[in-house]
Amino acid sequence: MKFIVSSTYLLKQLQILGGVINNNNTLPILDNFLFELKQDELTVSASDLETTMSAKLKVESDSEGAIAVPARLLLETLKTFPEQPLTFVVEDNNTIELSSNHGKYALAYADGEEFPNAVELNEPSSTIVQGDVLATAISKTIFASGNDDLRPVMSGVFFQFSTEGLTFVATDAHKLVKYSREDVSASQAAEFIMPKKPLNLLKGILAGSETDVLIEYNESNAKFTFEDTQLICRLIDGKYPNYEAVIPKENPNKLVIDRSQFLSSVKRVSIFSNKTTHQVRLKIAGAELNISAEDIDYSNKAEERLTCSYQGDDMQIGFNSRFLTEMLNNLNANEVQLEMSLPNRAGILTPVDGLDEGEKITMLVMPVMLNN
Amino acid sequence: MDLDTFYVSVERIIDSRLQNRPLLVGGTSDRGVVAACSYETRAFGVHSGMSMKLAKQLCPEATVIRGNAGTYTKYSTNVTDIIKEDVPLFEKSSIDEFYADLTGMDRFFGCYKYASELRKRIIRETGLPISFGLSVNKVVSKVATNEAKPNNQLKIDSGFEREFLAPLSVRKIPMVGDKTYQTLRNLGVRQIKTIQEMPLEMLQKVLGANGTTIWQRAHGIDHTPVIPYSERKSISTERTFDKDTIDVHRLSSILIAMTENLAYQLRRGDKLTSCIAVKIRYSDFNTYTKQLKIPYTSADHILIPQIQELFKKLYNRRLLVRLIGIRFSHMAGGNYQINLFDDNEEVLQLYNAMDTIRNRYGDRSVLRASSLGAKTIGRMTNPFNGEPPIILAHRKQ
Repeated sequence: MKFIVSSTYLLKQLQILGGVINNNNTLPILDNFLFELKQDELTVSASDLETTMSAKLKVESDSEGAIAVPARLLLETLKTFPEQPLTFVVEDNNTIELSSNHGKYALAYADGEEFPNAVELNEPSSTIVQGDVLATAISKTIFASGNDDLRPVMSGVFFQFSTEGLTFVATDAHKLVKYSREDVSASQAAEFIMPKKPLNLLKGILAGSETDVLIEYNESNAKFTFEDTQLICRLIDGKYPNYEAVIPKENPNKLVIDRSQFLSSVKRVSIFSNKTTHQVRLKIAGAELNISAEDIDYSNKAEERLTCSYQGDDMQIGFNSRFLTEMLNNLNANEVQLEMSLPNRAGILTPVDGLDEGEKITMLVMPVMLNN
Repeated sequence: MDLDTFYVSVERIIDSRLQNRPLLVGGTSDRGVVAACSYETRAFGVHSGMSMKLAKQLCPEATVIRGNAGTYTKYSTNVTDIIKEDVPLFEKSSIDEFYADLTGMDRFFGCYKYASELRKRIIRETGLPISFGLSVNKVVSKVATNEAKPNNQLKIDSGFEREFLAPLSVRKIPMVGDKTYQTLRNLGVRQIKTIQEMPLEMLQKVLGANGTTIWQRAHGIDHTPVIPYSERKSISTERTFDKDTIDVHRLSSILIAMTENLAYQLRRGDKLTSCIAVKIRYSDFNTYTKQLKIPYTSADHILIPQIQELFKKLYNRRLLVRLIGIRFSHMAGGNYQINLFDDNEEVLQLYNAMDTIRNRYGDRSVLRASSLGAKTIGRMTNPFNGEPPIILAHRKQ
């Protein structure tokens, strides 16, 4: 087995795939990239058992074979090379010899047979989404997902496909984001929960890309195919909580405010809030929004006043400022609307402008229970 | 400054018939301990922390009073208010002990005169006897106060701390308890003088890190500042039974009542806890505790099941239980973060309504039915006002 490949081309692909590999693996074979060579087509795969990602590369070769090459060693070496052709030759003594303009390097490899096989999807349903749309959907929602091991369903993003549109939901039980697209639809209705790790990988690769992504899915797995890359991952098993039921329907109190102004005020005030709870208090009366925070342990206190347009009763509501800043940061509208009903019911944050055609985003944030 | 036999003095103000009569304050049941005793009873060998049963045997003519923490707090606050007016910086280290920093007050006819006048004012306005020791640091002044008692004052001039301490028993150094005292006596050390003559290394060898502190204290060295405000790090409650019990239902309902009460204290103080603990003492005096880290909360419906779960795990010996208690620690200022899926509005409104009733009519005015039978120690004041907790006699500092 022998092939010749450009160093930077190989590095670029391997760095993307390297994101799949965990730092500590229980199975040592997972520290490797799988190289499968078929004449001039080299398929490189990386896996953590849950997620497997592979990319096809064009190389110069006329042989065949499959080997597993230590990932970290290879990546570190490739990073140091300027652009040049590299020759990989597999020797008989279980080493692979790599020759560059500078010299020769030998790496021990394992048999490709030892590498776990990627799952094949049985009778998948499918839909096609533009890469950038998918990346946006992920980045708008993923920050709201949880980290609680006790509730694994909330540690992912819920994909809800139907013939009318696509909906992506993430929540950690304190905040919730629902992102929907009406301009893209699926061939048939389906629902599944995607884990965070593959989504972060996809977000990185697909941001700004105009290529179409083929999404195939069944009960237990999902597969994303685009260009020469393919990502297969296991879905999170379980029933996603009924999020529609917790979105309050009637919200008589509506606040419209400049997003960046609101964000910088919350950020500034929250510096003075308690370091563990990050609690801020919003007081709304007339056309004035009063944001305050205090940290009794250190006698720190802050208060800011903003003008806003407000319809509804005067009210006081407490929020974790972290949630507010995360959400406001994630929107790119000039103005946002915060709808509320009672101080112990969720506030609904929506952008007033800045959305694409067919795009809709709803953010929910649960308040803290203030003493009356 | 230290209020002499504080609980006894307060009881005597309330009922003047108790003047000059032997008096014991503390638990009245067989399991009770002496929280405070008058000087008359001390002649019989009674001391605080002793079991009430034994104290009554030693001094059968003594009047026994159960005591009321709320009243004592009130009188303590009266004293605090006076000190607050007269002293620039002070620390309230317990319900009846104060440290006042008189730095700079020497310009007013000298510190000693100033302190004497303060003491006279407290005695005049509250009627409570108080003693003080004036010295350059906290340790020496504490020892001096104890030497001055009852109802007197003592001044240790700067530079004479070592001479003052030398003839006293090592037992008088704060932090030398029964154990350390025994260790020191086994070394042949009786007077502080001997420690002063010992090299530091020797004491470190015997007592470890504490040796350094004790050696320094014996020399009258103490650099700890007077701290005007101390943040409560935890709140806890515990209960010793009159009779050891194995009734799990009763134990469980007491735990619920305790949790309910402490959770209300948290909410009232705008606090959240993230570490909960349960403590059990079996009839053989073996004590076990188990704690659990949880997400920040102050909600009954989260805390009660967690506490019960902990109790279930902890209570694994088929033995009679003498004491149970709970503790909330790792606190942070803030309010309960409502959960989108687990909480419903009725429960939250119920909490609000119950807390409003409690704020108005006291913390045992509304209860869960399951905790009706369980009496717990009601707290009269907000535990988060920066004042030290009321320390019961059997809990040594």
